[in-house]
Amino acid sequence: MKIISLSGIAKSYLPDGTGEPVHALQGIDLEIEQGTIFTLIGPNGAGKTTLISIMTTLLFPDKGTGEVCGFDLRSQSGKIREVVNVTSGNANFTDIFSVAENLNYYGMLYGMAGPKRRKKIDRLIEMFQLQTHRNTPFNRLSTGTKQRLALAKSLMNEPRVLFLDEPTVGLDPQISESIRSSLKEMNREDGLTIVLTTHNMDEAEELSDHISFLQAGRIIAHGNAKNLKSKVRWGDTIRIRYDGPSLAPCGITSLTGILEVEVTENLVTITVDDHRKRLDTLMRTLVLQGNIILQDIEIIKPDLEDVFLELSKAPHPN
Amino acid sequence: MYFLNFRKHLIQINGFAYKNMLITRKRIFHLVEILFWPFISLVSVGLLTRFLKVDPKSIEFVLIGVIAFSVIQIGQLDMAYVILYSIWNKSLKHEMVAPINPFHLVAGSWLMGVFHSSIVFLLMCAVSSQLFHLNFIDSGIARLLLFFAGLVFFSASVGISVCALAFRFGGRAHVGATSIVSILTLLSGIYYPVDVLPLPLSYVAYLIPLTHFLEYFRSFYGFAPKTHHPLLWGFLLTAIYNVIAFSSLCYAVRNARRKGLLARMSE
Repeated sequence: MKIISLSGIAKSYLPDGTGEPVHALQGIDLEIEQGTIFTLIGPNGAGKTTLISIMTTLLFPDKGTGEVCGFDLRSQSGKIREVVNVTSGNANFTDIFSVAENLNYYGMLYGMAGPKRRKKIDRLIEMFQLQTHRNTPFNRLSTGTKQRLALAKSLMNEPRVLFLDEPTVGLDPQISESIRSSLKEMNREDGLTIVLTTHNMDEAEELSDHISFLQAGRIIAHGNAKNLKSKVRWGDTIRIRYDGPSLAPCGITSLTGILEVEVTENLVTITVDDHRKRLDTLMRTLVLQGNIILQDIEIIKPDLEDVFLELSKAPHPN
Repeated sequence: MYFLNFRKHLIQINGFAYKNMLITRKRIFHLVEILFWPFISLVSVGLLTRFLKVDPKSIEFVLIGVIAFSVIQIGQLDMAYVILYSIWNKSLKHEMVAPINPFHLVAGSWLMGVFHSSIVFLLMCAVSSQLFHLNFIDSGIARLLLFFAGLVFFSASVGISVCALAFRFGGRAHVGATSIVSILTLLSGIYYPVDVLPLPLSYVAYLIPLTHFLEYFRSFYGFAPKTHHPLLWGFLLTAIYNVIAFSSLCYAVRNARRKGLLARMSE
């Protein structure tokens, strides 16, 4: 079941109110399944934050239509705000309010009644291990604790969709990992749909069911991590270190599935379509051909970063 | 269902009152603005009238103006700060992504403004009675309450206008707040009757509800009003300005959502 569907969403800005318009989004079509983790990846200025702002109704689109949780983006924006929540990296709250006061304030803005609100605050404080910071003002919290508070705040209204704009930016690896674990747990146990943006490809791969690559306001590819990797037809790289006489590449390039061969001193780097299908034949050929002693074999699979770099090189319509 | 919705709206309104209450409790500067400056203003103007050997009637005239002005100043500050603090703290987008509307914001912050204004009004009445023998009760409790009600309703017009400016110009709206209040000081007969203004400006003065509320209340201290039914005019103009200011606020919020200002003010 689709929880978000967007069609032809476009948004332009006039930087500083004047000059040539910047086309932040240029006809975005997007569908997100309920209960999934969906990630938007793209360089700075690709339009990720603009798209999240539109889905959370902080920003109205210039063109296009869309629904979030069955509510229309334009005419039912108030209803959407009741069932979604958002937080971003480096989130800010009222600096003089404590953790509990900030949560209480946001709980009130969501119209939560006193007893329910207090219970929820206690649960979130426990869930994000904020007990010792309960009465600490926001401006005295560490970056990691501020981010945990931001996540706690984003769950105050028990949203159906949680939007996270670079939730782990600027955090140390340990805190980032704990936040990723929390997100996975919320998705798995509560069926919470999560839409996040990130620059961190490993994070995207670890968390996401679906990924969309955004560049210059357009989605240039989408799918799960495996699909995306196969889309670029980059292939796997097999790096073999050996002892013995120098190998001639011509014997290897004629094999099926070999995309590229590069031989340097005692090292041969071979790109194949799928290492699982080609490794056995390749090894036999190498050993028979060159009378060599294998020292080390390394298999490198393309990661999302490679995929993104490759996709962004391809021409896309403006 | 209706009751549940009504209750939810009350909680959301209370959210903004809660924020305002916390700001007052935790920010000493806000407390100073609410309590300290009005008293400094009252006492210094009172002492000035003594130094100038102003007659008791004129002292009453001026002090009524000073107290009325303080009520409006406090009311509008409380409303403006609810938004300005969010802009200064870059937290506006978190509030605007919640299912609140401009009415919740206005009502919650205004209620707190009325609370603060009431305290300051009572304290200033007591101080002016003790130090300068101006007795507000002489006019009658009902008249005093009507006068106060007019002032706090008019403070809402100013406060809402500043909030609208904040959604358009961000933190710079503070300048707008100061400017509106300065214009009121100049035009609405706080320290002097409006007939001392050049004729075109005195016409403008009568477009300001504060001018009418002051004429209404001063009429019980021997200053005849220049218009018939000044209280009615005051409330009528206030209602018109409140509708205009609230419509401007709604437009400013919609415009901010269209132009991406909410996200930009939170970066």
